[in-house]
Amino acid sequence: METPGAASELPRYQPGAGASAVVVRGLRKTFGNKEAVAGIDLQIAAGSLAGLVGPNGAGKTTSLSMMTGLLRPDGGQVLIKGLDVWENPPAAKAIIGVVPADVRLFERLSGEELFEYAGRLRGLPADEARSRSAQLLDVLDLAGDAQRLVADYSTGMRKKAALGCALIHNPSVLFLDEPLEGVDPVSADVIRRLLTRFAASGSTVLFSSHVMELVEQVCDHVSIIDKGKIVATGTIDEVRGGKTLQRAFIDLVGPRATDEEVLSWLGSSSS
Amino acid sequence: MARLFVQLKLRLLLNALRSSRAAKISFIISTTFAVLLAVGTFLVLASFRGKSTSVDLTAVIFTVFAFGWLIAPIMVFTVDSTLDPSTLALYPLRTRQLATGLLAASFTGAWPAANVIGLLGVTVGLASGALGVTVAVIAVILQVLFCIALSRFVTTSLAGLLRSRRGKDLAAFLIIPLVALYEFFTQVVPKVATEGKITAASFTGFDAWMRWLPPGLAAHAIQDASDGRPGPALARLGALAAVIAVLGWLWVRSLSRALVTTDTTTQGARVRSAKLPLSGFGLRGAVAARFWLYQRRDPASLVYWALVAVITAAVSASSIIGQNHHPQVILASAIFGAAFVGIFHTNSAGLTGPPFLLEATALSRTRDLRAYFSGQNVVLCVIGAPLVVAICFGLAAAAGRPGIGVEAAPVALGGLGAALGLSNLFTVGLPYPMAKRTGTPILTAAQGYSGYRFGSIMGTLVGTGVLAAPVIVAVVLALAGPLAIRLGVLLPCGAVYGFALALAGVRLAAAAAVGKIPELCQVALSSAVA
Repeated sequence: METPGAASELPRYQPGAGASAVVVRGLRKTFGNKEAVAGIDLQIAAGSLAGLVGPNGAGKTTSLSMMTGLLRPDGGQVLIKGLDVWENPPAAKAIIGVVPADVRLFERLSGEELFEYAGRLRGLPADEARSRSAQLLDVLDLAGDAQRLVADYSTGMRKKAALGCALIHNPSVLFLDEPLEGVDPVSADVIRRLLTRFAASGSTVLFSSHVMELVEQVCDHVSIIDKGKIVATGTIDEVRGGKTLQRAFIDLVGPRATDEEVLSWLGSSSS
Repeated sequence: MARLFVQLKLRLLLNALRSSRAAKISFIISTTFAVLLAVGTFLVLASFRGKSTSVDLTAVIFTVFAFGWLIAPIMVFTVDSTLDPSTLALYPLRTRQLATGLLAASFTGAWPAANVIGLLGVTVGLASGALGVTVAVIAVILQVLFCIALSRFVTTSLAGLLRSRRGKDLAAFLIIPLVALYEFFTQVVPKVATEGKITAASFTGFDAWMRWLPPGLAAHAIQDASDGRPGPALARLGALAAVIAVLGWLWVRSLSRALVTTDTTTQGARVRSAKLPLSGFGLRGAVAARFWLYQRRDPASLVYWALVAVITAAVSASSIIGQNHHPQVILASAIFGAAFVGIFHTNSAGLTGPPFLLEATALSRTRDLRAYFSGQNVVLCVIGAPLVVAICFGLAAAAGRPGIGVEAAPVALGGLGAALGLSNLFTVGLPYPMAKRTGTPILTAAQGYSGYRFGSIMGTLVGTGVLAAPVIVAVVLALAGPLAIRLGVLLPCGAVYGFALALAGVRLAAAAAVGKIPELCQVALSSAVA
């Protein structure tokens, strides 16, 4: 089954007149015998809020890691605002922000110190880093916990803190890996609003998720990755083709097996 | 169930062997050391045959092994890759099944086998007659079981001791007296023995109190059986088995509690100052500021500094005590102290773990990496230099030769520069993922990477000694000179030499790291240090 915007037409999504913020060509990565990413092509327009969805193990995290210069690809090219991530890492890294899936921060810094550290690492003067830190803490609803150690933060607070660290230098492109996983609805709403506002200002967001409702709500562009390949890409409407995104996703990546008959012992009527 | 657990343990060991080249090398190194331990222990125990103090010496060795099992899991090298009980928490296993299975799994592997084989040296050194040999074999098995049960019980209890973050931070410091004792046994005792201050006769009468400890019970059971007294021998073995049963029960109890008790987050821990220090020093200042705060707030960092102090003191403590003392060995203390400042902070990406990714996004150019390494080195130098020098002066004062402190200071400064430079180089050249074990703040190499850790430790230690040699030579040549020369010339020369070495290390490491950031990120991501 193929939905509108399926892989054979890649890359095709170029909304508006803006140049592409992210261009990925033939990105590949193999771990041992397993081909984690099998040559993906992707094009994300500037100002877009794009989602990268796929089942577990599809290659989302590996792809994002390679796009952000944290994992060396076996082949392919990644351009961020025209800058090659692997040819010119300093320039490319300077304009991106990254929130990894497994958010681990400097636990023994307070929230305020962490934000300032992130800002100063990015070359901001200390005063500017402190000023931005205070504003971000406020917007992210962390001001009351600014002087608590990150070690004592909850999962949602950590995700928000990681987002603050990724935003403090005002990146042009923001990459987030499962930004709302394990986050309570209130924190999720704060993150969602901030991302929408960030993208509305002309910056670009690319995030991975397997929460289809979230992608449907906030994204204008979605790519579906399965077994290391992009199997569909386009606007939300193009990809879902009149169905819900959840349905379109399942139709594309499919149930893995129809072996219900084999599990005849499963259920309360059997032993 | 025990059989299943043993099969699982064997499967895990085989899979680790198949997983990577690093794992294979590590397995070979670990197995080689296990074989050496087995052969060495067997020969030492066998050599006690015919000695009047053989039972006392055997009891001492049994006790040292028990102490080793207590210390080893929280020290650098992993000798017991016991199955993680938390992975078994969801299965409907009865406590007895869990205990038996885990104990059987703990008994499986090269190191437990090396312990059994090595301790079987008692069948030659202490046992005589069929009954004596039979009891010796049983006693050795019980002794190893005791070691395993003791080790498991203590590490699990430490983990369950305090469950809040602050509690864990405080519990972390329990390691310091344990390491001090370890250093005493490994550094002080062998040296004193080499100097002839400890002989076989020194152990006469040890059994007056040691015979009632579990290792002593095992040794004396063999002696009793060999002397034709099966009753007392069986009674001692029974007592030892009872101790093992009690330890096992306590272990399983604390294990059961630990598996169903959540960690509680400490509320209200607030920092006093909201601002990072060193704001006017760019990236170098930012890295140094974060690192400085970590030296104060991170229990592992505080423990590392305490260990540097213990090691620096222990290296020469034995040589300055007693009549035939050699206070010049304080120079070795200076080298070891400096080297361990580097050793404990090498593999920076692995030690930092996943948060390194935040730093990595800002580290792209060679100059960024220079700032990164030098920022950390400045902090280590600010703490390490006065610490090591002060301890050397303290040791010199204790030896009644304060002048030796003046000689040790330039060696410490030169050595510290060398150690920091080497530490930076090994951080880039030999990175490996780290893992945190339950009950200890000390990070160890992730499974399959012990060889890397061994390589970087020995490389830093030997390299520091070699690079500090010119300072030592200069100090020895200046011994006859006036104090003013030693203080006014050697001290600044040592400091400048150390600075130059550290600077060279920073520059070389930064140049090498600039193309390896993704690899360092993967090492950091693979580290489970939280």
